[in-house]
Amino acid sequence: MTDCGCDKAKAELEEFLHNELEPMDAADVAEHMANCTDCTHEHLVGLTLTQKVRAACQEQAPSELRDRVLSALKD
Amino acid sequence: MLLEAPHNAGEVHSILMNTDENAEPLEPPKKGAATKALFEEQALQYMDQLYAAAMRMTRNPADAADLVQETFVKAYQAFGQFQQGTNLKAWLYRIQTNTFINNYRKNQRNPYQGTIDELEDWQLGGAESVTQHTSTRSAEAEAIDHLPDSAVKDALQAVPEDFRMAVYFADVEGFSYQEIADIMKTPVGTVMSRLHRGRRMLRELLAEYAADRGIVVPVAASKGSTK
Repeated sequence: MTDCGCDKAKAELEEFLHNELEPMDAADVAEHMANCTDCTHEHLVGLTLTQKVRAACQEQAPSELRDRVLSALKD
Repeated sequence: MLLEAPHNAGEVHSILMNTDENAEPLEPPKKGAATKALFEEQALQYMDQLYAAAMRMTRNPADAADLVQETFVKAYQAFGQFQQGTNLKAWLYRIQTNTFINNYRKNQRNPYQGTIDELEDWQLGGAESVTQHTSTRSAEAEAIDHLPDSAVKDALQAVPEDFRMAVYFADVEGFSYQEIADIMKTPVGTVMSRLHRGRRMLRELLAEYAADRGIVVPVAASKGSTK
């Protein structure tokens, strides 16, 4: 399963990335990638996308929001 | 404070109410102090995350703050229904998503809302071609990696809301597909579809952005014009 598993691997890369595959299927994808530069690069793009989105979306709520919420809870 | 089963908060509450006869006759609060303390301790820690998601939903700080406040107020009112031991953050997100749809989406309604899942990819703006051209993929990852956060945020805002939030819940919060399905009240298959399409669009937009800035050319050049 070194050179003919690309279609299956590519179809499952998103689910592999999001940790949604059954362990056996995840192992198949990992094994395929170990021998396939193409799929490894594709996976790298996916990983990079996830990391960039995660980094870009960090926010800190305004400090006064906590006080607003606390006083709203009193009602 | 105690972090036990939900009944405990109620029990503490009723014990306080029934046996503390020497207490001043305060007007009976709607909820016990123990419930409030429990809610504050457990729920308020997610304020930054809820705010970040609210920013992606409403696109501006004032509305995001209002949405978060409303979410906490509603969650507090419904806190008795929350099952301790289950995922509180997901529960809060469900309330926030619902609140957003009911109160805010009306004001920014777009003609695709409700049918976005049925649109073909070409109708969303060609996001099909990304998976070609293998030799440029490592360059693509590197280009994406070099983009500023502002570019990523702009690209996210350009992705239709349901797709954008699926990406947010999966990639920022790390929720499982099933949890996202519960939050968005949609089947898991729809979550997968939204996530895949959202990420494809995002990838396309970022490739365009990178190419426009001359960060790297191969991806966009190889797939031709997209607009």
